[in-house]
Amino acid sequence: MTAESCFEPKIIGFLCNWCSYAGADKAGGMQVAYPPNVHIIRVMCSGRVDPQFILSAFAKGADGVVILACHPGECHYKEGNCRALQRHRMLVLLLEPFGIAAERCRLDYVSAGEGAKYRRVITEMVESVRKLGPLAVACGE
Amino acid sequence: MKIGIYFCNCGSSIADKISVEAVIEASRTFPDQPYVTTVDFICSEVGQAQFVASLTTEQPDRVVVAACSPRDHEATFRRCLAQGGMNPYLLQMVNIREQIAWVIEEPLRATEKAISALRGAVYRVRLQEPLEKKQLEASMAVLVIGAGPAGMKAALSLAEAGRSVVLVERSPFIGGLPVLFDELFPTLECAPCMLEPLMGELLHGDYAEKIELLTLAELWRVTGYYGNFTAIIKKKPRHVDLHECIGCGECVEACPAKTGNCFNNNASERKAVDFAFTGVLPNVPFLMEEVCLRSVGEDCRACKDACPLGEGVIDLAEAEVTLERNIGSIIIATGAGLYEASQVTGMGMGALPDVYDALQFERLLSSTGPTGGKITTSSGSVPARVAIIHCVGSLDKDHCSYCSGICCQYAFKFNHAISTKYPETIITHYYRELIAPGKEAHFLLHGALNRQNSIFTRYARIGDIAVTRHGAGYLEVSLQGVTTAADMVILCPALVPAQGTDKLAALLDVTCDSAGFYGELHSRMDASRSTLKGISLAGACQEPMDIQKAIIEGMAAVGHTLAGLQPGRLIDIDPVTAEVESKRCAGCHLCSSVCPYHAISFDGEQHISQVNGLLCRGCGTCVTACPAGAITGNHFSNAQILAELEGLLK
Repeated sequence: MTAESCFEPKIIGFLCNWCSYAGADKAGGMQVAYPPNVHIIRVMCSGRVDPQFILSAFAKGADGVVILACHPGECHYKEGNCRALQRHRMLVLLLEPFGIAAERCRLDYVSAGEGAKYRRVITEMVESVRKLGPLAVACGE
Repeated sequence: MKIGIYFCNCGSSIADKISVEAVIEASRTFPDQPYVTTVDFICSEVGQAQFVASLTTEQPDRVVVAACSPRDHEATFRRCLAQGGMNPYLLQMVNIREQIAWVIEEPLRATEKAISALRGAVYRVRLQEPLEKKQLEASMAVLVIGAGPAGMKAALSLAEAGRSVVLVERSPFIGGLPVLFDELFPTLECAPCMLEPLMGELLHGDYAEKIELLTLAELWRVTGYYGNFTAIIKKKPRHVDLHECIGCGECVEACPAKTGNCFNNNASERKAVDFAFTGVLPNVPFLMEEVCLRSVGEDCRACKDACPLGEGVIDLAEAEVTLERNIGSIIIATGAGLYEASQVTGMGMGALPDVYDALQFERLLSSTGPTGGKITTSSGSVPARVAIIHCVGSLDKDHCSYCSGICCQYAFKFNHAISTKYPETIITHYYRELIAPGKEAHFLLHGALNRQNSIFTRYARIGDIAVTRHGAGYLEVSLQGVTTAADMVILCPALVPAQGTDKLAALLDVTCDSAGFYGELHSRMDASRSTLKGISLAGACQEPMDIQKAIIEGMAAVGHTLAGLQPGRLIDIDPVTAEVESKRCAGCHLCSSVCPYHAISFDGEQHISQVNGLLCRGCGTCVTACPAGAITGNHFSNAQILAELEGLLK
């Protein structure tokens, strides 16, 4: 077994209440397993996800952060997901100079009906962060 | 601080995967060392009773329920907290079923993750604060804007439910567009006959006194918010008393001034004081100041002298009045109009005689119209060849990208009306798409398709068609090299929002969609509610629709109105909203620019932003946007979210 496959990343997931959190529930209802590495924080809207939460997650030991929002045009609060997207784009630009790869901070869209997509996004996220290795190592801390 | 963790076994759903013993063991390392109680099915009646009993005995300061998704039962458990004497917002749920037990194969890892999630919840719940629902008194009165089918139905139904209604209509009559028509698709029912009972009830029925009808009136300004709007309405002078006038028409006879009647395509004349058209309701004339001889300085009072009821009915000096009404909710029912067909090149609209848009042709068909229902060309002859062009400006990205959904049906109706009167007339339908939705539209469609003198010709782009005038005086319709003579061309343009929709939207602070119709709160789930709380949408102001749907929408708006505001009940204000800490607010307006609900206003005197708790829906976008950290998202504060984060990553 390689070191890479032993590493269990700890990832924080910010999920909006209306679409992506419901999508995660839907994935649960399907009762098909996916990696347990993503720890969920529920917010009402992805527009509530403050870049400082993400920075704080990395500072406190998260190896990755995933923000899941309603699909564009389907935000329960009309456009909160657009704000989340704007903030995410800006934040990623700031993360890379600090040695935090863009893949560690992903934004994606999961609707309430997309249990299968939720599973896929989570699995992909875990795999990509697993490949990158622990953040502390990557940062040379 | 005493914290209670209630662990639901959910039968074996959770207990088989997550070891409660390990959770209890781990909980000893959590801050404040919470007690852990297991319940078999906490959402069941027995489970809830056990939960409430335990809360009553233990009297914890904060509660964590580890069970199913909060989307299932957060509301249930909040009620339990209230029953147990606690503030319901001191609860945090951990979703250990859908998001842990059901999706993690190995029990050890599931247990690990549950412990981590519980730690996050305990960290968070310690910072949660009791929140109280605020309540406000509200006005039960309703403002309905527009007295077309949707607005009339809404106004009358609200009156029947005991509500006071202010019905504002900018034209001098009620009934909207269809009162100008003769027969209606799909069943060729007489439009005025069909609308008459509704209009009669509205004006003189048992509940009419609950409705304040203001014709020639427009909303000028609105302040306040759901439950307590103040509407400022400007009412133009009619110069004839709506309630005293008996509609005898003596004043019309006597009036010496004439002009074109805009309700009859200006193809017939009217007097300065006259009815909009024959049979109009309210059956009261109105005086056009700009046509009246008094406007040119003459001291004419012929109408006033002719009135058999004496001095009191006609008021030549009547001026515009400004009215103020306190209302709780608003229904917009301003309807639609036709896309300006002259915007579509090659149609000849406005440039060639005998080219009519659908509304103009409806008036030609109508017995109350300029020709008394006779279809004649401008030269006075019976049209032997009529072209009906469908989809004018519809399904066309250069004009209106949508299909209005009703034009084909009235085009088939036109076919029926023309061929009933003149069976020899050849009618050519030029269409891009043909639709006949619903259970009744096919009658007219098949009627038109099966008629011997009907021709159906499909075109690809409206630009392929050109309407021109032949030197001999008749019209010609050319399509891809084939030219067909026509004595009359009828255009069926897209339905567009009524004139002034954008202005009213700005005034009410509601949004419009890309086509200019009022935007819905949700296009499927809440199509008859606007984006602003307390403002409903009814009829074709929301999207093109027929009368049937407009009436249904009128009732939907009534449903929202009655369900929202009830006599004797205060309006609840959800406490999960944003709040501005005035000392830290720098007045930068960033928050109000991101708020999708116009819930944030600016106090110019104090130079700070303020959140209206009634309009705020608690999304928290402004909280994140505030550069000064001056806004707190109740129940989702930075501190609470960061604490949860810390607990999860511990």
